[in-house]
Amino acid sequence: MMRVHAVAATGDPGLQPERTALSWSRTALALAVNALLSMRAGLVAGEPWLVAVGAVLFASSGVAVAIGTVRRRQLSGDRLVITPPRGALVGVAVATLVASAGGVASVFVGGAS
Amino acid sequence: MPEPAWRHDGEEPDYRFTLANERTFLAWIRTALALLAGGVLLHQFATELDPRPVVTVLAVGLGVVAGVLSVMSYTRWRGNEIAIRRGRPLPFSWVLPGLAAVCLLTSAVLVVLLLLT
Repeated sequence: MMRVHAVAATGDPGLQPERTALSWSRTALALAVNALLSMRAGLVAGEPWLVAVGAVLFASSGVAVAIGTVRRRQLSGDRLVITPPRGALVGVAVATLVASAGGVASVFVGGAS
Repeated sequence: MPEPAWRHDGEEPDYRFTLANERTFLAWIRTALALLAGGVLLHQFATELDPRPVVTVLAVGLGVVAGVLSVMSYTRWRGNEIAIRRGRPLPFSWVLPGLAAVCLLTSAVLVVLLLLT
């Protein structure tokens, strides 16, 4: 059973809850850019697995958008849920690692260079 | 995924610190994604740049740095979270000067390549 920390909203003038939710949306956009690049590299070089990496990254981007929405709800109203959703941080870190592996591999395939 | 033991360490900090740490993690992730995109774009679109092996090394280097950063962002978030809970100073990390060095080196190499081409 995970202990979730929640506090009563204080009207934070630093707008930290809003900035945190927005941060997730920006990260989703960054993931989407890399998904596009990976797909393009795969299509140009004719490497289906790179297109698959791109598809996985698009899915992660969608998940990050969803987390952003969840966070926006959790961090608004009278009661703020502070603990990030379980596995969200590990998940986005793993997605970035996959993107990096795909990006490095894309340099070595096809006649791109 | 089981709940990590450190979540019961120390005291629950001011919620703003927890949220700031979450945003810092996401900022590192975006940094990694930006470096990666830069490397991939460099390799795919900067086809005029010579010599080609240097461009390849740059692209691969940026991708590897992105991979390292993605792992680091999580371990650092975790380390900060534990330190905040225990009221300890935040752990020092070489990753910030390291990243600055990587950016400086990449820019320097790119400037030389652009001048030579």
